Amino acid sequence: MIKFQNVTKTYPNGVEALKNVNLEIKDGEFVAIIGLSGAGKSTLLRLVNKMITLTAGEIVIDDTEVSTLTGKKLRLLRRNIGMIFQSFNLVKRTSVYNNVLAGRVAYHSTFKTLFGLFPKEDKIIALEAIETLGILDKAFIRADQLSGGQQQRVALARAVAQKPKIILADEPVASLDPITTVTVMNDFKRINTQFGITVIANMHHVDLALKYATRIIGIRSGEIVYDGPSENITDDMLVKIYGRSLKSNEILGEVDEDI
Amino acid sequence: MKTFRLPSGAIVKKPFNKIWIVLATILVLVYIFSYFIFAKEPFFNLSVLSDIFVKMFTPRRYQNWGDYFGYMVTLREPLMETLTMAFGGTIIGSVLAIPVAVLCAKNINKIKWLRMVVRLFLNLYRTIPVMLMAIFAVYLVGIGVLPGLIAITGFSFGIMAKMLFEIIETVDMSPYEALESTGATKTQAVVKAILPQVFPVYISYLIYIFEINVRASAIFGYFGAGGLGTVIVESAGTHYERVGATVILLLGVVLVIQFISNYVRGKLQ
Repeated sequence: MIKFQNVTKTYPNGVEALKNVNLEIKDGEFVAIIGLSGAGKSTLLRLVNKMITLTAGEIVIDDTEVSTLTGKKLRLLRRNIGMIFQSFNLVKRTSVYNNVLAGRVAYHSTFKTLFGLFPKEDKIIALEAIETLGILDKAFIRADQLSGGQQQRVALARAVAQKPKIILADEPVASLDPITTVTVMNDFKRINTQFGITVIANMHHVDLALKYATRIIGIRSGEIVYDGPSENITDDMLVKIYGRSLKSNEILGEVDEDI
Repeated sequence: MKTFRLPSGAIVKKPFNKIWIVLATILVLVYIFSYFIFAKEPFFNLSVLSDIFVKMFTPRRYQNWGDYFGYMVTLREPLMETLTMAFGGTIIGSVLAIPVAVLCAKNINKIKWLRMVVRLFLNLYRTIPVMLMAIFAVYLVGIGVLPGLIAITGFSFGIMAKMLFEIIETVDMSPYEALESTGATKTQAVVKAILPQVFPVYISYLIYIFEINVRASAIFGYFGAGGLGTVIVESAGTHYERVGATVILLLGVVLVIQFISNYVRGKLQ
């Protein structure tokens, strides 16, 4: 369980990205965070694994206070949290397998990593993660040879190889085409249900968020303006989140489940 | 005088740069002037130069070309010494350079004072001439391959650290961020996210430095560091044809290395 208590984040340049946020996310939930660019979605996400540090308040994950963690304790926390980025953040000129295997380094000493030593179990875990994402045939191909959707799946495989309890996804499909987007979102859903991993994703596409997430959190200028099940969201709520109602052409449109 | 004719019909005349004529005239005048004032002979005797040149690249009297090239066979051992020095020094120096380069890189080492101290050390270190390192190494460990190896290691370290940190500063930092988010230590993130990106450039530099070192290690013979350099020093003055054969061998080896290095670097792209 992830718990935000009166969390405030002010950046050094004075921007108040989050204002007094209170939040509770249970294990196994699929949460989509929606809101305009600059509303504080990324900030909220990055506070969870302390990629950035909060200004005031408290974030607790399974009885561990996150904001005070440093060094080894912080690394142990991060090991249990996978992170997905908009631009995939892969080492482009190395193989899919090596990228995914890199998700295991936190389980080993720096010394072992220096010599590229991984036990056999880790190699199996990495290959299994690649298999889960359906790209086993691409395992030994360089990451930059793959399409955007496939690269994002490599990133997902790296996160899965961590054996995490939580996956944070920062605009995971923002740089993908609509069809690839659906495939990748289906992968997220599958990982969420199959492994019971909590997924928290920042989304730009409202209809995708409504379709895949079980819970929607709407943020507007650093404040939570909606928090509830995705089926309860109405046009009025979207007006509250985005400042005006969304036109039909601003929504991705009907997406085919089978792709 | 260059003339350009533009489509509009305009004609542009670019004046000749007179500075070259002036410079050349001054140089010739200075030479002639100083020749008459100071020297009984010209500063360099071309006939001596050509004499040595002929001695170097023709067989000795009472010898034939077979003897001339046959001498190269006896150079196997000094050649291996030179290559050992160059190869070992390049590898050791380049490996030692990695942590220093990482500490110098702004995007990885965020501790400003540490970065500045390491960079200052590196800059000061790089002002030490290689020859000085060789002399110092001979003084420390005595004559042989070891001082050459030490000097080459020192040289390779300096040049590699400098070039590598500049490359590290241009890498894509996004996989590094991703690795940090998995709970990896900074060192692990560098090894897994940064080094794979700089690897091809690193290898390419390594081969390039090796190439330089083969030539440099030949000169180290002057300071008693063994290898082909020692052969050249020992033969100069008495056996110029041996010096010539050694030089040809060295050129051949460097050429082969260049050929291999071009091939490998092409493959790495």
